[in-house]
Order: sequence, then structure tokens, then C-alpha cells
Amino acid sequence: MNKILELSFPLSEKIMTTVRLTAGGVCALCGLDLDTSEDCKVCITESLLLLLHRGYRDARICFSRDERLYIRIGGETPGEETGSAEDEISLALLGALVGDLSIEREGGKLRSIAFSFGKQA
Amino acid sequence: MTERELFAKYRETGDLALRNQIVEKYLYIASILAKKFVGRGVEYDDLYQVASLALIKGVDRFDERKGLQFSTFITPTITGEIKNYFRDRSRLVHLPRRVSELRNSIAAAQEELTKTLGCKPTAAEIAKSLSVTEEEVLSAQEAGGIVSLDRPASDEDGLSYYDVLPAETDAFERFEVHDAVSSALDTLTDKEREMIMYRFREELSQAETARRMGVSQMYISRMERRVLEKLREKLKKSMAE
Repeated sequence: MNKILELSFPLSEKIMTTVRLTAGGVCALCGLDLDTSEDCKVCITESLLLLLHRGYRDARICFSRDERLYIRIGGETPGEETGSAEDEISLALLGALVGDLSIEREGGKLRSIAFSFGKQA
Repeated sequence: MTERELFAKYRETGDLALRNQIVEKYLYIASILAKKFVGRGVEYDDLYQVASLALIKGVDRFDERKGLQFSTFITPTITGEIKNYFRDRSRLVHLPRRVSELRNSIAAAQEELTKTLGCKPTAAEIAKSLSVTEEEVLSAQEAGGIVSLDRPASDEDGLSYYDVLPAETDAFERFEVHDAVSSALDTLTDKEREMIMYRFREELSQAETARRMGVSQMYISRMERRVLEKLREKLKKSMAE
């Protein structure tokens, strides 16, 4: 798998647009159609919101590809967990938009989220 | 009342007032999800409407005995409906998804084969390379893309498709159209009329029509194009008279 881009940034709602724009650029680079690219951006936003509500102050996104575009989003610098009533919807939305959602937990706490987009193998 | 109790009661009684109560309770999910899909060229209000309808359908389908939370059940349902809405809306005239995909594959195969063969490939060559029938290739090519209603219907008279496409007709107009079509069909040869009967009355495929008439499918495809053009011209003239 070839790494395309890795981003590390302070996690806040203000950074979401920048991350979404970057994700759109990566999707275009990988030849994904606009609809898939939009779905990908929604998944990235939802993942970041989930990590934010788990109290992480920073996040790291790694984009890599072979036949598909793989995205792994991890939380860094743990802080106080706030939680949100919408978290359950975010998780269900992720499950609805990607077929290979993988969630890593550490001591029961959400640590990272990974998924991929592109043609099915 | 808990979520489980609410749904159990609705399932038992089918009480519409209870359904309305459930829908109102979970309408916020429709709103949240609609907002997630804003920015793709569709207004929030439209998305909210699609999501709300999906919610109503979902309330009827949800079975609390399966142990799932309603929000977990309804989110993929609403998401699916919103995505279907985007897909359907993306074409003004709906092409079946398979035809759409085949058209893309044909374009790619055409380019590839032109390089390898050194000349433009035939429908048969494209069909062979894509493992589909020749008819599928020809039909997909004829399916065409989106056409604006403002586009000129012909180069000569300046009329747009909007001007020439039929609106709802009354009985007298239907009679006139029937008369015009009959006299247009009279101008065709026996073979052409036979082909029209198979293709448009019996709705047979080009391959089946070709088999019945003892000719090749390519021959039918060409004949069909020629005959339809002839009928179009004839009908245009009778409309002008």
C-alpha cells in the first residue's frame, strides 16, 4: 500500500473544512467520482467528531492506496471525554457509508477509525 | 414509555396517532442526517423531506424484538434513501444504472481497441472485449445522454424539443396522431413494417427480430435507425401541414 498523505493537526470543529477540502483533493487524486468523494468527506468528518467527543486534542489522518483509497484516523493527546447524543448516529452513518469500517479501541475507549473507498476487490 | 414499549405498542395496535408520536420523537435524526448531505447541489429542505419520508417508512418496518436501537436501525435506512435520491436526481432522464455503466465501459474499450487495432473497433469487437452481446453495445450507445428541452429539434425550422414534444392530448388530437402515424407507416416497405411490428408492437429485441426476419442484428439496427428517421420526417411534415 502506498502512502499518499499524512496529516496531523489540533482537533477542533474549526479545522473540519480544511480537512474536508484536503480529503476531496486526495479523492480526486485517486480518481474517485464526486459522489464517493463526498461520502468519504462525510466519513472523515464523522470520525473526527467521534474522536473529538472522546476527548482527543489532536488527530492524525493517513491516506494510502493500492486498488482502493484507505483512510485511517486516529486520536492523539487524550483529554476529557465529553460524549454527544449524536455519536450513535455518527457510528451508524459510518457503517452505512462504508463496507469495511474498522474501529480500534484501547481500554474500551475509541482510539482510531479506518475505512476505504473505491472499487470493490 | 421506553423506546421498546413504544414500538411494541404501535406494532400491536397499529395506532396512527402513536406512529405520529414516534415519528415526531425521532424527526431530529432525519434533520441531523439531512444536514450531513447538504452541499451536493440539493437544498436542505428537500433532503429533510426525503429523510422524513424514510423515517416514516422505517417506523413501520422496525421490529424492536430484534434488539436493535431505533437510531441504529433508521440511520442506514435514511442514508440509503438520501443516496438513492442523489442517484435518481443525477439524471434528468433516467438511464438504468447498468446501461450507464456499460456506456462508460464501451467508451473505455473503444479507446483501448482503437489503439491496439489501429482503427475504430466494430460493435462486435467491443462486445467481445467486454463479454456482452453486440445488441447490448448497440442499445447502450443509442441510449444517449441528457438532452436539454431548449435544444433545437432540427437545424431547419428553429423549433426546440420543448416545442415538438407532445403534451397531454385530447381525443381529437389522439385521432389526428393516429391518422398521421398510419399514413407515415404506409410509406414504409413491407419489410420495414414487419420490423416495426416486431420491435414496437411485440417489443422484441433486435436479436429476436433479426432471427425472425432471417437477417443479422446489425442489419436490423441500421434499418431501425433509418426507418425511425423516415417516420420522424414524415410526421414532422404532416404536423406542419
